Amino acid sequence: MTGPLETGAPVLELRGVTKRFPGVVALDDVSIEVRPHEVVGLIGENGAGKSTLLKILSGVYQQDEGELLVRGAPARFRGPRDAARAGIGTVHQEQSLVGSVSVAENLLLGAEGRSVRGGFYRWSDLNARARAQLAKIGSAISPTARVNTLTFAQRQMIEVVKAISVEDLPDRTVDAEPVVVFDEPTSVLAGEDLETLFAQIERLRTRASIIFVSHRLDEVLRISDRVYVLKDGRCVAEREPGAVDTQELYRLMVGRASTGQYYREDEQGTFDSTTADADEVLGADGLSLRGRFADVSFSVRRGEVLGIAGVLGSGREDLCRAIFGAEPLDGGELRVGGKRVRFRTPADAVRAGVGYVPAERRFEGVAMGMSVAENILLADSSAVSAGPFAVPSKRAALVKQWIERLRVRTPDPGTDVATLSGGNQQKVVLAKWLSSPRLRVLVLDHPTRGLDVGAKEDVYRFVREMCGQGLAIVLLSDTLEETIALSHRVLVMRDGRVAAHFDAAPGAKPTQVDLVEQMV
Amino acid sequence: MNTAVTTRATTGSPTAVPLGRRVLDAGPVLALVLLVVVFSLATSRFFTLPNAASIANQAAILLVLATGATFVILLGGVDLSIEGVMATSSLVTVLLAANDRNGNHLGYVAVLVGTAVGALFGLVNGLLHTRLKIPSFMVTLGTGAIGIGIATVLFGGQPPQLLDDGLRAWGTERIAGMPRLVIIAVAVLALGYLIQKFTRIGRYILVIGGDEQIARLAGVSVARYKLYAFVLAGTASGLAGAMASTQLGVGDVQVGSGQLFATITAVVVGGTALTGGRGGVPQTLVGVLLISVLANGLILVGIDPSIQRSVQGVVIVAAIAATAWTQRHRLRVIK
Amino acid sequence: MMSTPTRRSRLRHRWARRSRVGLACVGLLGLLAAGCSSASQDSASQKGPANPKDLVLVQAIRSLSNPYHAEWAKGGEMFAASVGMPVQTLTDEGDSQRQLTQIKQVLASGKTVVLNADPNTTSDTQAIVRAVQDAGGFVVSQWNKPNGLTPEQVGNSWVAHIGFDGNTGGYQTAKALFAAMNNTGGIIALQGILDDVPAKERFAGLQKAIAETPGVQLLDQQTAHWTRNEAFQVTQTLLAKHAGQVKGVWAANDDMALGAIQALRAVGLAGKVPIVGASDAVPEALQDIQAGDTGYVATVSTDAYWQGGAGLALAYQAATGKFDVATASPASRSFYGKEFLVTKANVADFLKTPTPTDLAPDFANPQARNVGPLQ
Repeated sequence: MTGPLETGAPVLELRGVTKRFPGVVALDDVSIEVRPHEVVGLIGENGAGKSTLLKILSGVYQQDEGELLVRGAPARFRGPRDAARAGIGTVHQEQSLVGSVSVAENLLLGAEGRSVRGGFYRWSDLNARARAQLAKIGSAISPTARVNTLTFAQRQMIEVVKAISVEDLPDRTVDAEPVVVFDEPTSVLAGEDLETLFAQIERLRTRASIIFVSHRLDEVLRISDRVYVLKDGRCVAEREPGAVDTQELYRLMVGRASTGQYYREDEQGTFDSTTADADEVLGADGLSLRGRFADVSFSVRRGEVLGIAGVLGSGREDLCRAIFGAEPLDGGELRVGGKRVRFRTPADAVRAGVGYVPAERRFEGVAMGMSVAENILLADSSAVSAGPFAVPSKRAALVKQWIERLRVRTPDPGTDVATLSGGNQQKVVLAKWLSSPRLRVLVLDHPTRGLDVGAKEDVYRFVREMCGQGLAIVLLSDTLEETIALSHRVLVMRDGRVAAHFDAAPGAKPTQVDLVEQMV
Repeated sequence: MNTAVTTRATTGSPTAVPLGRRVLDAGPVLALVLLVVVFSLATSRFFTLPNAASIANQAAILLVLATGATFVILLGGVDLSIEGVMATSSLVTVLLAANDRNGNHLGYVAVLVGTAVGALFGLVNGLLHTRLKIPSFMVTLGTGAIGIGIATVLFGGQPPQLLDDGLRAWGTERIAGMPRLVIIAVAVLALGYLIQKFTRIGRYILVIGGDEQIARLAGVSVARYKLYAFVLAGTASGLAGAMASTQLGVGDVQVGSGQLFATITAVVVGGTALTGGRGGVPQTLVGVLLISVLANGLILVGIDPSIQRSVQGVVIVAAIAATAWTQRHRLRVIK
Repeated sequence: MMSTPTRRSRLRHRWARRSRVGLACVGLLGLLAAGCSSASQDSASQKGPANPKDLVLVQAIRSLSNPYHAEWAKGGEMFAASVGMPVQTLTDEGDSQRQLTQIKQVLASGKTVVLNADPNTTSDTQAIVRAVQDAGGFVVSQWNKPNGLTPEQVGNSWVAHIGFDGNTGGYQTAKALFAAMNNTGGIIALQGILDDVPAKERFAGLQKAIAETPGVQLLDQQTAHWTRNEAFQVTQTLLAKHAGQVKGVWAANDDMALGAIQALRAVGLAGKVPIVGASDAVPEALQDIQAGDTGYVATVSTDAYWQGGAGLALAYQAATGKFDVATASPASRSFYGKEFLVTKANVADFLKTPTPTDLAPDFANPQARNVGPLQ
């Protein structure tokens, strides 16, 4: 067991940590340190490497190169328990509590120790220990409450308590104050809940060291002693809050010259604003869904790309699912081709000519186990059917046409789609929608996620082609760069509302900083 | 999301759960009360002590089965081997106790062995499920068929008669007006509740059913506790088979016919979700009573036998729809 | 993430596709061959009686775990032994699909099939006899068949259908029950699966008997789906519902009656309330009738040994030409078999297992128990 440290020396240190996945370097030679009783902020765009870093810290991944030092001694975590025993507790973004049992059981899951004798629970003992832990952050939540009766904010408190409780593990390897990692804790908090969280963190700081990861730059600046900026897997900057402002942080996070060629901006069409309404394919007035978004209005014309930017919790994903009929709408009007529509199910949306390319293509996009041809014809086989019967010759011709247009690399239309590369699978998903003659609007949800450069270029090529043919596109993208480059107009959403509306004609595009300012 | 955390935190009260949801959670109990009221009004013979004893007697074996099955369903699995295990256990019990086929007379030990046979089936179910990763419904379908097969071989064409009067008494006699089997059922219920509320086995089964991944990450030996759940279910089936034999006085391959449907229905109607993580033994009690009261009431009221099944079906679907109401959303996958 | 398929994997794909096509061709050829062979077999049967060496004896029943079918199977085995051949026993456990599949599998074996079948439900009979007709075998069916369908309509492969008049069985057992009740009092009735023809016929017989006996009333009737444990539960409820009024119990089969007896025993009425089962004559029931102290008064036997043995014998005779199906009268191809009311007076006869000698006359002349054409 390692003992307490001399003051000033780092509690936790990453030296030259590198982590690779097939096709991408998630972390490249990253070095970071956390000193005692410090709050260290960590910021970066989606895909910058933040979550990979946290997973290495919490023992879910192991680094390929570099060292992890806990209190000066090298450590190797083979799993989450090792990280916990070393005193690193994580408050997760996705909840890690089991709803069907009580607070006390969750807090002490796997570590009940003497509270369970001979297989029997000694509830008074267990609850007392839980109460003691809850008291550490001053929470008065009852240890006997079942977790699925608590509010989200309360559950997050329990997560915090759970993270801190690593210091009480009977088999801990480090006998010292814990390091608590907060992973995007504020994305769904507001108002009083937020203040309470900050108060907790301040209290916590006296007996622990903290890493705070967030998109909300003002919050990070407020609470941290030092801030690291990650970009493209590298640690590009380390600043003290006093010496930097949000503007500079944005620049550090996203600053990169976008290459117009990559996104084929020269192929982007221009629009005459006076003909706007006549050509509207998709329109919205005051759309709202309780708890997710409110009062969203926009208009998309034939051949136009509307990009929607926003961070997690901004409501943009829910908005797109609502456009596709996968979520209900509480209020507002949705129009397709000028006519008011109400979608009860995605099938209604498909019939009206709205398609949706989902973010999780493995689960929601391609039907694994079916062939390429079958997948392409999945959404709408009206073009190749005569009544209830499929016309085989037409089917084969259509499938062949799309495979060629999209340059899907498959040995055979009959190949199982599961054997294709990610990029080609994504193309199959696109072909599925594009092969429908009814399609008027296509919603693209993170269409280039996980694709290599070549596949991305192909996708961009299509987007341009499709626009040229009059299709309207709603685009949610991982990166601001992609959003700005591909779109004709950009909507920025924040906390469920439209924060800003930008025109993005080629040559007059907004900068990423402009967008980020509105997003956070 | 603007709840005042400070004030709520003081009470940690369940007012966080909306009223509508709590009404639906109490759905099965309300349905049971409703049925009792309706039947009591419809016929004077319903709300009498002899009829209550009759309902209890018929619910006894079902209660034992359903209590065992609850643990497996809480995990998110299912045990379809109930009838097969009852068949084997029935034959084993009768052939070991005093019977008309051979000279054994092991008395209560025979019941113990019959129950142990059930536990063995449960062990096999659990091992095949956890080690070979075969889905529980397939494993138990197979072992159920094996159980029927073994029982048929032991059966030899004609049911062995149970001649042990002591054991027969358990199936037919009463103590203080209550059939003896009911007392066994209540004991099993109490034991099941104890396990669920106070033992690691019970609590971990709930955790695994709630979120298996989290359990695994917390270091819980998921396979071991799944095994325990199947053993519990198998033991219950074994005991139920022995109980049915004392009631009918024979060892019979068909002794459990119809019980599988009734058991799963009782557990689900009571409020334990088939997806796991919700419900428990008390809920199962309500479900069993619901089913038994319904069957009994329909006969007492004189509903035409040809439509009784349909009426039962309607009530069951309504009860399940009510409990599943809160879970529905458009893209949820239903299998 | 896979890169572009290499030449090797492309080749593998092509091979995979080819072998799939290849397999399909082989399968198709196989089917054609089978079709041809069965067609030729059919024409073979038209030529004349088959050589015993080319025959295979089969009996299709529900299961061996009920005594009735166990006796049927033994009867069939005795007949088979008498002609020096083995017999294959198919059990379907109440699954119609399984029964049909099993029979088709045997028919596909190539030999001429001689089949004695107890179809699972009325709707299954047609599929079974047609399958046998197509394969050129010989089948005798018993118990269930669709009303308008006769062996003549299907062909010479459907040798005969033997039915049993549920009306008679239901009526006679009811009369025996009432006699034990001194013709006064209320009774409860336990029915079989309400859709089954035997269930309906037997209940009709009961109702006729009730109509003739003014002192007896039907208090209640419920279905227990032919099973013992359901009968136990239903009887319990009914005894509670009509407490003190039940003076007799009529059940459409013995299994249910045996379950009802336990329910009577549970309230101390065993032996005090007479009970009958309108069919099956299972050994347990016979023993109870003989013992006399359980209240079991009567049952009906169709003589399962006879059903198994003589039924198979009739099909065999058709296969070997001894029974000329083409010239047989309709009355000898659709008829009622003889039923026996079993009471204490004659139960001893039914308790013994018949020997092959006892049954030999029936094997020689299966039509001996033909009591009349089917209605």
